[in-house]
Amino acid sequence: MDLLDKYKKAWNNQPKETDTFSALEIYKLAHSKSSSVVKWIFIIALLEFVLWSSLNLLMPEDFYKIYRDLNLMHFINIFTIFHYLIIVAFLFLFYKNYKRISLIDNTKRLIKSILGIRKTVKYYVIYNLAMVFLISIIVNITMFSDSDKLLKTMNPNNLTMDISQVLTITIITQIIVLIVVLVFLWLFYKLLYGILLRKLNTNYKELTKLDNLN
Amino acid sequence: MQKDLETKFLTDFEKNQNIAHKICRIYTTNTNAHKDLFQEITIQLWKNYSKFRGDSKFSTWMYRVALNTAISLYRKSTRTVKTQDFSDFAYKIKATDYDDTEEKQLEALYKAIHQLNDIEKALIFLYLEDKPYKEIADTLGISSVNARVKMTRAKEKLKNILNP
Repeated sequence: MDLLDKYKKAWNNQPKETDTFSALEIYKLAHSKSSSVVKWIFIIALLEFVLWSSLNLLMPEDFYKIYRDLNLMHFINIFTIFHYLIIVAFLFLFYKNYKRISLIDNTKRLIKSILGIRKTVKYYVIYNLAMVFLISIIVNITMFSDSDKLLKTMNPNNLTMDISQVLTITIITQIIVLIVVLVFLWLFYKLLYGILLRKLNTNYKELTKLDNLN
Repeated sequence: MQKDLETKFLTDFEKNQNIAHKICRIYTTNTNAHKDLFQEITIQLWKNYSKFRGDSKFSTWMYRVALNTAISLYRKSTRTVKTQDFSDFAYKIKATDYDDTEEKQLEALYKAIHQLNDIEKALIFLYLEDKPYKEIADTLGISSVNARVKMTRAKEKLKNILNP
């Protein structure tokens, strides 16, 4: 045991931590869980990215048939690449937020960066919803601009229907589907990021209170 | 009541924070991770403070909560030491003036501890802090016999790393 005893003496004589925290700083540490919330925002965004992209990859070829029929395949490919670039940029921002917020020890800067993070998340959700909206508008415009194509895509079995019937049915279904998808996505984001943002908000309020006390 | 409790917690913790810093030093290898762990320990201590009845000393209770926080947080993290990360901390030790050989010993000791797994780290830490087996067992939630067995193994491993 003599070997370890020697080290034990060194351990007991080690200097005390010079970088200590005051009671106020400890209060802040105990009450601000912001950095872990931001970490979760990053992790969930990452998981979401994996989920959507694997769904994309797992889609059967048939799914793209409608785009191919509409001659939109080229556009869809370019759009997908563009979309993933934007998402990766967002992921990078989330990661940077997380790294930054775990370093901050100043109340004012923490408040500022929480505001920044809330904005980033908001833009992220808006971007995703807007993209769904935009892409369906583009697909629909291409579809309606050419009545032959429209008939071919919407009525592949050549049922006896005239163009105005097909048009009405298509418009109604498209609008319903778009609304349902947007509402579903909105709820999804609201639930997922809403909970995290609410936590961040509580921290924000506490921090402002604390900042006012000083 | 809540305010009184909080003030008491803050003053007690402020006085004993060196325990948490030492734990951070053995479980992390750079300043950022040190701060993160310290914050996590602070959060856990405050969350559990209402359950602390004062039948043991604040420091004893703090050893338990802080060590368990570190163990559960670093359970899955890697056990390799990054030398460039370590130098960050080594610099901090050198900044104070004391015996050169002890300084080298301490550096070697930390390097060796960083190679142990999360439970071994806790055992060695409590040994270095001169805790009796009864308290070590209570802190880690194992039996005294088990603590003795595990401690012997951890010490052997540490000695082998220090003096291969």
